[in-house]
Amino acid sequence: MTAQEVRLCGLLLREHFGEVVEKVGTHLLRSGAQNLRTIIHETGISLDLVKKSLCVLVQHGACVFSSGRKGPGSPTEYQASSDRILRILRYPRYIYTAKTLYGDTGEIIIEELLQRGHMTMSSNVKTVADRLTQNMEEGRSMDYSEVSSAFSNLVETHFLQRCPPLAGLGTTDASTPATPATPANPTTPSFPDCYKVPHMTLIGRGKRQLSSEDGEEQRNAKKAKLDSDTHGDEGIYWQVNFERFHLHFRDQAIISAVANKLDQTSSEIVRTMLRMSEVTTSPTATCTKPLSANEIFRSLPSSYNIPRPILDQYLTLLVDDPMEFVGKAGESGGGMYVVNLHRALANLARATLESVVQERFGSRSARIFRLLLRKRHLEQKQVEDFAMIPAKEAKDMLYTLLSQNLVQLQEIPKTPDYAPSRTFYLYTVNQLPTARMLLQNCYKTVANLIERRLYETKESKRLLEKSQRIEAILASLQASGAEPEQLTEVEEMITAPEKQQLEALRLHINKLDSAENQVDETIFLLESYVNSTATPAS
Amino acid sequence: MKMAEVKVKKETNLSDPAEVENRIKELCQQFPHGITDQVIQNDLPHLEPQQRAMAINKLLSLGQLDLLRNSSGLLYRLKDTQSASKMKGSDNQEKLVYQIIEDAGNKGIWSRDIRFKSNLPLTEINKILKNLESKKLIKAVKSVAASKKKVYMLYNLQPDRSVTGGAWYSDQDFESEFVEVLNQQCFKFLQSKAEAARDSKQSPMVQRNSSFATSHEVWKYICELGISKVDLSMDDIETILNTLIYDGKVEMTVIAAKEGTVGSVDGQMKLYRGVNPIIQPTGLVKTPCGLCPVFDDCHEGGEISPSNCIYMTEWLDF
Repeated sequence: MTAQEVRLCGLLLREHFGEVVEKVGTHLLRSGAQNLRTIIHETGISLDLVKKSLCVLVQHGACVFSSGRKGPGSPTEYQASSDRILRILRYPRYIYTAKTLYGDTGEIIIEELLQRGHMTMSSNVKTVADRLTQNMEEGRSMDYSEVSSAFSNLVETHFLQRCPPLAGLGTTDASTPATPATPANPTTPSFPDCYKVPHMTLIGRGKRQLSSEDGEEQRNAKKAKLDSDTHGDEGIYWQVNFERFHLHFRDQAIISAVANKLDQTSSEIVRTMLRMSEVTTSPTATCTKPLSANEIFRSLPSSYNIPRPILDQYLTLLVDDPMEFVGKAGESGGGMYVVNLHRALANLARATLESVVQERFGSRSARIFRLLLRKRHLEQKQVEDFAMIPAKEAKDMLYTLLSQNLVQLQEIPKTPDYAPSRTFYLYTVNQLPTARMLLQNCYKTVANLIERRLYETKESKRLLEKSQRIEAILASLQASGAEPEQLTEVEEMITAPEKQQLEALRLHINKLDSAENQVDETIFLLESYVNSTATPAS
Repeated sequence: MKMAEVKVKKETNLSDPAEVENRIKELCQQFPHGITDQVIQNDLPHLEPQQRAMAINKLLSLGQLDLLRNSSGLLYRLKDTQSASKMKGSDNQEKLVYQIIEDAGNKGIWSRDIRFKSNLPLTEINKILKNLESKKLIKAVKSVAASKKKVYMLYNLQPDRSVTGGAWYSDQDFESEFVEVLNQQCFKFLQSKAEAARDSKQSPMVQRNSSFATSHEVWKYICELGISKVDLSMDDIETILNTLIYDGKVEMTVIAAKEGTVGSVDGQMKLYRGVNPIIQPTGLVKTPCGLCPVFDDCHEGGEISPSNCIYMTEWLDF
């Protein structure tokens, strides 16, 4: 829970849930597990608001509660986890993935679930159907069964999972000393029925909302939905399985790396292998389960008509490649092959580090960096000789890298007194600590981008409000059937330079948004690498 | 007087030092490879060790004898007259310094080291060195490792590679442009070979094998290009190819090759192949913060902050 992580979590909470939740959330992040009374005392927020904030955090899985330190009977303690809050940054990527895999229906299911945190299947299906119906042409509506089948598909491929059975989940009163069950780690559900779709009686079609006074209608309709209709799946709440999405992203990264390094066909073979081992490999496995060449041959997509011996050649080439994405695990069944997941992640992280050094300091510094990664420890003179860079420049570059902590110095004394003239000084690069450092830099960068975005919005607040007012006036005029002259008169209330400013502002905000997503990709790679090297708790 | 034909032992007058010296000189002539103390003793059994030592020292100082050491002891050899004449007019100290420099061979020796070996004061050394240089017996060569350091070696010797730096240095300057040009040429060659292999659309194994080039092939290509004024050896080309590996543009494998195939060294051959990077430039560097030189000083509310960052402003308006 570093300072940068807390700062970023605070900004994300503020944007998505408001300032009160941000205060409570950051307080919990900084101070660890605390009970309700302490939180109220230290943040100075009223009991009511604190309860509501904790409710929001628990609903989204950012906070868990367990019985106090002094044993059962003592007040429950609440603990926030920064990982879950940082996932908010990745929501757009999850939604986009669902869209590519399962179409618009899948996209809206995931979006709704991400917004609400936990939902029952029935309420989700109804909401999604209504939304889809909204966007369809007049007279057509979305059938509940279609949405249900999309939902079931998502569950089958483990993208959605049931929430762990904690009693009292979803109620508004978060301070009840609920029976806290399994040491709450909602990210690794190890209970049975995790992916079982409940039998649910839900027949009907999506309802279209009327466009006028839709705000009122929606609220009434929502209230009505909550009260009536039980569909046989009460108490079974669903959440998005982030781990599964992460595995999918990781597979995508490996496949595109293979496509860049080798060629399209090799990447297709690797994609097939990864698809076959999607549900059989555990998330923390070093490599996938061994697959025989026969199985791979049978599972290749039919569009790739490669004969068997050619497939064998491709597999051999993949195994021989220095990047070691694929390894050979045996000879039975025509050769057993595995995908080396941890090694692939390490290679991707390494490429990320090299790319950062290259863009920031130039290609010659990148040459020195790669040289040190390969050769581990080198003296100053050796670095100059291997990299074929003049001595003065090499020295300069090495010292710059050293001051940025990308390169470390190892002293090896020849004599017991560490006299500088009689010590070896070796330069070295440690991949894991450097990756961690870059990860923190990424968090800081995203926080900077968000702050800049908020600043830009604040600067142009007056202009934005004016344009919103004008849009509202225009909309009401159009609805009540005004003449074109009135419309143009209203439109001209915004002057041309103001329009330009608004346009520039829109561009800036878009750029900052997309930059956040790009940095998030780097965060994902580095986080996966750091997590893969963590030794599993025994 | 040729003593080789007449095997008459001449009675030497042991009390006359000049006679002793002459005798020793004759012995040296008899054994051109050098004589040991033992030989002299055998020849002049009644010679006292002290007198023998005096005679030898005299001859050494006159520059007519050379003192050598082999595994069994000291050897004395007659110096040939030509080199003896060179040293005429120089005194002992100069001869000593000259000998030290000669021993250093083609690596040369630094003036401080000469001082250590001869135990002469610095001023003397400098005088002698100037003297010898003016007589064109030694020369000073600037070392490439430390540009202020000068090493001395005999006039007619070629300096060693470690001093001049080999093919990459001309006049003590590292030729970075030359290295760059070679770097690019090698890379282009390997890249075009890899592309040709990819376009040939044969089976993948054949494709990959034909995209490889041995270090010998690259060496021949560079020689034929004729961009180098200096002759480059295969080792030099391999160092260039290694820098391409550290640039991440090329990968290398080693295969076993039959002895005698062209370009193989000790039964192995190194193969090089152009490769593509495995990822695009990462997301972090597409933002101004990823490249910012004052990243660590940036805080909200400080002098440098995201709100007033000029790099961001430039980037947003781009």
